[in-house]
Amino acid sequence: MVISPVHYIVAPLLAAFAIALLSKIYKNAARIVPGIVLFYNIVISLVLMPQVLEKGMISEVIAGWEAPWGINLVLTPFSGFLTTAVSVIGFAIWLYGYKFKVRLQGGEVKYYEILQMMMIAGSLGVIITGDLFNMFVFIEIVGITAYSLTAFYRHRDGAEASFKYLLIGSLASIFLLMGILIIYTQTGSLNMAQIAERMPMVPQTMKVTALIFFLIALGIEAEMFPMNGWAPDAYSQAPSPTSAVFAAVVSVAGVYALIRVTFTVFDVEGVHQYLIVMGFVTMLVAEISAVAQVNLKRMLAYSSLGQMGLVLIAFGIGSHLAVFGAIFLMLNHAVIKALLFMSGSYFIYNSDDKRLIGLNGIHKRLPFVSAIFSIAAFAIIGFPPFSGFWSKFYILIAAGDENMIFLIIGILMVTIIELVYYLRTVARIYFYKDEVEHTEHKPSINAIVAMSFLTLFIIVIGIYPNLITGYLHQAADSLLDKASYIQHILK
Amino acid sequence: MNTLTIILLILTIGAAFTYFINAVNHKLTAISAFVTITIATGYFFGLAELGDQFKFALGDFSMQWGLNAFSYYFIYIVLGLSWLALLYSIAYMEGKARLGYYYGAFLLTIAGMFGVVISQDFISLFIFWEIMTWASFLLVIYNYYYNIKTEGMKYMIFSAIGAYAMLTAIVFIHHYYGTFLIGEALSKGAFSFNQHIFIPIFLLLGFGIKAAVMPFHVWAPGAYAKTPMSFTAVFSGALSKMGIFGIALVFSTYYITHNAGGFIASQILAWMGGITAVMGTIYALIQTDAKRLLAYSSVAQLGYIVVGLSTGTKLGIMAALYLAVLHAAFKGALFMVAGAVEKQAGTTDMTKISGLIKRMPWTFLVALISIITLAGVPPLGGFVGKWLIYEALITESNNYFLAIVIFFSSTAAFLYSYRFLFGLFLGQEEEDTKDVKEAPVTMLIPMLMLSFVSIITGVMPGLVFNPAAKAMNALGFADTNWDMTSLSNIWGNTTDLSLIGIFIIIVFILGFAVLTLKGRKKTKSVGTKDISSSGELWKEGENWTFQQDFFKPFQRAAAPLYKFDMDKIWSDMGNALEAFFGFFRKVYTGNGQTYAIYVIAFLAILLIFKDYIFN
Repeated sequence: MVISPVHYIVAPLLAAFAIALLSKIYKNAARIVPGIVLFYNIVISLVLMPQVLEKGMISEVIAGWEAPWGINLVLTPFSGFLTTAVSVIGFAIWLYGYKFKVRLQGGEVKYYEILQMMMIAGSLGVIITGDLFNMFVFIEIVGITAYSLTAFYRHRDGAEASFKYLLIGSLASIFLLMGILIIYTQTGSLNMAQIAERMPMVPQTMKVTALIFFLIALGIEAEMFPMNGWAPDAYSQAPSPTSAVFAAVVSVAGVYALIRVTFTVFDVEGVHQYLIVMGFVTMLVAEISAVAQVNLKRMLAYSSLGQMGLVLIAFGIGSHLAVFGAIFLMLNHAVIKALLFMSGSYFIYNSDDKRLIGLNGIHKRLPFVSAIFSIAAFAIIGFPPFSGFWSKFYILIAAGDENMIFLIIGILMVTIIELVYYLRTVARIYFYKDEVEHTEHKPSINAIVAMSFLTLFIIVIGIYPNLITGYLHQAADSLLDKASYIQHILK
Repeated sequence: MNTLTIILLILTIGAAFTYFINAVNHKLTAISAFVTITIATGYFFGLAELGDQFKFALGDFSMQWGLNAFSYYFIYIVLGLSWLALLYSIAYMEGKARLGYYYGAFLLTIAGMFGVVISQDFISLFIFWEIMTWASFLLVIYNYYYNIKTEGMKYMIFSAIGAYAMLTAIVFIHHYYGTFLIGEALSKGAFSFNQHIFIPIFLLLGFGIKAAVMPFHVWAPGAYAKTPMSFTAVFSGALSKMGIFGIALVFSTYYITHNAGGFIASQILAWMGGITAVMGTIYALIQTDAKRLLAYSSVAQLGYIVVGLSTGTKLGIMAALYLAVLHAAFKGALFMVAGAVEKQAGTTDMTKISGLIKRMPWTFLVALISIITLAGVPPLGGFVGKWLIYEALITESNNYFLAIVIFFSSTAAFLYSYRFLFGLFLGQEEEDTKDVKEAPVTMLIPMLMLSFVSIITGVMPGLVFNPAAKAMNALGFADTNWDMTSLSNIWGNTTDLSLIGIFIIIVFILGFAVLTLKGRKKTKSVGTKDISSSGELWKEGENWTFQQDFFKPFQRAAAPLYKFDMDKIWSDMGNALEAFFGFFRKVYTGNGQTYAIYVIAFLAILLIFKDYIFN
């Protein structure tokens, strides 16, 4: 069997259906199959990525219809880098959640794993598709699974959060569809490369209107202010591994879609400034809101929005170094925020209290998880020698090269706000007196392995970033090199 | 492998090893830490040579560590003082909890400081700066529960502001000069104020916060006082000197290539230093806790050093470098004294204890010598430093008014010096300190060694001037020759200091003889409660002890100065911001309909203004 990019999506989709059948035969299949599939995804990356990095992008044609007529999947160094990251982090999250919810009925675990699998498949699809309408479909898959996972615990808050998500998400679908519609009427194509080629011929008004619909729709997925109201609710109500997937996979896919459309498909001036301004507003509002949170997962969710804002700023700057920093930050955010949700949910699990008060003095009961959480918190603020420092540093240098002094000062001031609330949280863990009633749940061995692996990643990359900077440079180059993208797909 | 990297490795691996060995056997923790620092110090002074360099690439940046005379000078402070403080820690920290945490963070802080000093590019400087900051933060919050909310948070936030100011400057140095190497940036005139105003300002902010310059000093008193005293000696003695290191590095380039007189940043710096010196002293006066008194005094002393740096003349910078070493010596010793008193008597509250001289004579001796040095009284080393500062201010930069300010400050410093000595050691003995014992010998040795530095520099300041002159050479100042035992001013007058040494010895021998011959036989020892009231009945709550309201008249006279409370201004600002955040976060109403309206409204806005936004 020849491995091709389509396996990224097909494997988890097939697995999602297989889980339903297999778990009738063997109850634990629901837990095991996702791991195998995600591991297979890592293998795909290991096989395909060297080719991509060496020879350039791989374009996969579906059902024999050549682009631009058929749907094609494109594995560029940029998208390949993200699929690899998503697969690895997804695998770590699976490992972490392997024993998740033993208390519930087997059936529920089955549904949970199916939905999670579909969500990861959809996100991978968004990342590697080369077709606008196909992207819409995958975004819908991600959306629908995400709504149901948000309401997975059948209680009032979950249902409310899910409904909000559904409301905003359906607005996203409508606007996305409208944007695609305008583009299709103007260019007569749905293939991104062909649209990009024909874009100069589209009248300015049509172009900009379509772009605005895309910006709104994909802004919702990429958690951009003011379209991100759904996010904190969804993050905080979803099951814990799902929160990690939201932060590490879904938001990465959302940002990818936004960037791919604005960078490759459209050629509108001013979109960079838009990204910088709205990215900064997103970051500022999110971090300010995070300070006032009393609920741990909501705080982490707002922090996620803030990080996404910084990613958008960096993409908005648009130079090679900035894009490099943005991709680096996407990776760091995926790893670190997944880690924060993983360790954070053990705190919640142990204290029976979703509020921050439940964290008081918890390090005595969970020393390992506390240490992991603290390292991750320091890493996401950007303290050296953790990996978060380098991504922020690159972005700042890129901003400096464009002479944006106020942007730099702004970013760093927001970082101080970030420092304040993370420091408070860590202080609670280590220095406050324990006052809340609690139940004892030691972390399971698989969770420890998963968290240690991601923590090791943070530290190793922080001390020696050269391990991945080469890939990141290629990824940044491939995103910025629009001409060869078009040429390669249309031959 | 390079000596510098080996020393960094020794320190970091030693820190990890010390942390983990505590779990095995907590008696080995202190020994492991002490052995680590001894190896590192020995290795450095034995094998490291000027000009050692280590180059490598990290990310897309080339990094460079190296040793020149300037960094060597500061390594004397860093490694020397740390070695003594760790020796002191062994007895001081004995029996306390979390020793692995303490010693591990201590060694990591030393590694951070060492790294800062040997960095020759801005990225490693920043990384080590941050490591140093959070490692020392771990020590500030060592005394658990009450510290984190107030002092730890304050320290971390101010440090972060400083670090990020520095980062901004670094990013812009890269933007304008295309390099991160300090030497290269310096040679391109990176810090000239006229070219890129904000680079020196941001760098000054970054380094100034670590040096606790007003109005960013508010973290310092609390952090110094709440940290275990064994670390505060290093904190105030060496860690805050990193700020001085940075300012000297950055500003001297400007002074050399440009005319210092017209340099407005140096004026700002001078006045910041001057105000720091005065306000630090004023606040030190009213403290009742010896640790806080020393902490404020530390702030004030760093003010002098900053003033010296700001003059930009050879003499001024020399004075600053000289005072940096001396401050490390005497303030290190004084914090160790406070620690010894705290350990032996249980408190450092000057209203609660007094008359410890009989119980802790050696500690008193150290305190006396260090206080004399601090006050700048001849014949000890502090005098030389003060003299140089005055001379630099008056003769070389014509800054008479600032000289008066400094003079006021150092006169007022006598008051708190006196109070420190008197409050803790002199006066009547309290009943409940009768069975206090002298500090253990491993605590006394470092204290006495530091006092020895104070004494020897009074007689032979050349011991410090020589390396300082070399350091200034490395900074680019033309060579300055300093005689070992004499001080010369610009008119060519020379003061021979070797006589002073003879006098010290004579005075000490005489004093010792008088004390032993005359003894205390004729004096009667009385307790604090043993007071004759001449037949008057004293009322309940009436103040009969001198320890209460020590400087009440002065306090009354200087009352307006105390109204200016920077601490309150900052905390008000913090509270206001937090309230604003609390208000602002209501943007997220939690209502799905509102969110939908946001989306639609935003779409409408974009569509209406699309011609403006997207050209």
